[in-house]
Amino acid sequence: MKIYLKALSMHLKSELEYRVSFLLSFLSQIFIFFSYYFVILSLFTKFSHIRGFTLWEVLLCFSIIQFGFSFNEVFARGIDRFDRLIIKGDFDILLVRPKNILLQVLCSDSDFIKVSRVIQAVIVLILSLFHLKIEWNIFKIMTLLLMLLASCIIFFGIFLMAASYCFYTIQGLEVRNVFTDGGKYMAQYPIGIFQKGFVLFFTFIIPYAFVNYYPLLYLLGKKDSFLYGFSPLIVFLYLIPCISMFYVGIKRYTSVGS
Amino acid sequence: MKAYFTYFKLKFMSGLQYRSAAWAGIATQFFFGFVYVMVYIAFYESGEKQLPMNLHQVITYLWLNQAFFALVNQFHKDPELFQMVKDGTISYELVRPKNLYFMWYFKILGQRLSNVVMRFIPIIFVTSLLPYPYGMEGASNVYHFFLFLCSLMIGTLVVVALSVLYPIITLATMNEKGIVNVMLSIADILSGIVVPIPFFPLFLQKISKYLPFQYISDLPFRIYVGNVSFQFGIRGIFIQLFWFLILVFIGFSLMKRNIKRIVVQGG
Repeated sequence: MKIYLKALSMHLKSELEYRVSFLLSFLSQIFIFFSYYFVILSLFTKFSHIRGFTLWEVLLCFSIIQFGFSFNEVFARGIDRFDRLIIKGDFDILLVRPKNILLQVLCSDSDFIKVSRVIQAVIVLILSLFHLKIEWNIFKIMTLLLMLLASCIIFFGIFLMAASYCFYTIQGLEVRNVFTDGGKYMAQYPIGIFQKGFVLFFTFIIPYAFVNYYPLLYLLGKKDSFLYGFSPLIVFLYLIPCISMFYVGIKRYTSVGS
Repeated sequence: MKAYFTYFKLKFMSGLQYRSAAWAGIATQFFFGFVYVMVYIAFYESGEKQLPMNLHQVITYLWLNQAFFALVNQFHKDPELFQMVKDGTISYELVRPKNLYFMWYFKILGQRLSNVVMRFIPIIFVTSLLPYPYGMEGASNVYHFFLFLCSLMIGTLVVVALSVLYPIITLATMNEKGIVNVMLSIADILSGIVVPIPFFPLFLQKISKYLPFQYISDLPFRIYVGNVSFQFGIRGIFIQLFWFLILVFIGFSLMKRNIKRIVVQGG
């Protein structure tokens, strides 16, 4: 943990060396972020609800997903950009060091410009909680925190899985975008609005539904069972295959040389 | 002219080599297409009256968006051109006795066309076989179909003229992120790729009328589904031509100005 923090602060320092460029990119992120919300906002000027979910409920759902995704973009950038390590052959350097590999990959890169997205996600989250009349109790607060945590975990898992794939293909794959960007796009809506097959796939194969659908139902008071409230815990199980896939990948790894 | 055409052919042919990228692209397009279609179906279930397009029109529009995505999307950044600007390789280009603007224009045109040629047929074929309400439908009539083809072609010329602007701006800013990314995301929204223009809030519909972005893909697709009248389509095509000339003029003179100021640092 100490090493990781040290690496983070080094990346931050190096990014801040170019102060103007950092600031400009930080601002431009705000614009880009707005374009994500635009779809939802403009469609809700024409429609009043989507299968029973109102504007602020959808925004709540989306901000939780955005939070997890951008959180990983900042703090797990090394995994997101793993294909670079493999292509350039830099991964070999990590292998000879006497420290945990995954930790080293995490330390290898970070992107503090994306902090602006995390902040914006939090703002939207607070705004939508403010507009929604939720009857708060201790369990609901727990559910909300679990959702945020699960959102970070699931994208970490997906990034890791995509990274493990690089061991075989030696290149980043466009297909991974289906699961990261595509998944993010889809999960901005409560998953229940989609057709059955889709819902099943994103419940059991990639468990987005446990991040922002089943717990959301509990949070909004549409379902009363505690099972719904604590369902984000299932996402933690999802990490097991992801991490083991990564280590299987390392065993198969042959360097590209150079 | 022949030299420029060679650039076009070069990019077109080399683009055709990336077949696995094309398949990945098609898979991505299908996934996004399905998500969009399901979202709109769910929205239409709310039973609102007075919507600007009916459900089949929207779904056909969405699939057209996906099928021609490689041709009309805003986020087409040719890494080669940006790299050239940043590492100074552009000096090799400057010694060539041809106009740099048109060299770049034809390169981007070639890339976009080769990308779309490999992608649109499977998407259109499969989606027109899908059952109601998921599938895509035919054009509203023959006249609209021909108008759609014309308008899509001119729309392509417009979007390429826009895409050339970004590396040209980078010549002055030396950074392909900041301002260029802001422009790209504005263009992305206003082009109707995210949401069809008729679903915009009214004030934005008014603003985008006076900007080039909605004349790239929104106009041809709306002509295809019959959301606009034939006369409106004809008028739209003239506006497209107008924007094409304006954008080429802006790009051409901006390029001239930026090249005068260019400093290549040794190496």
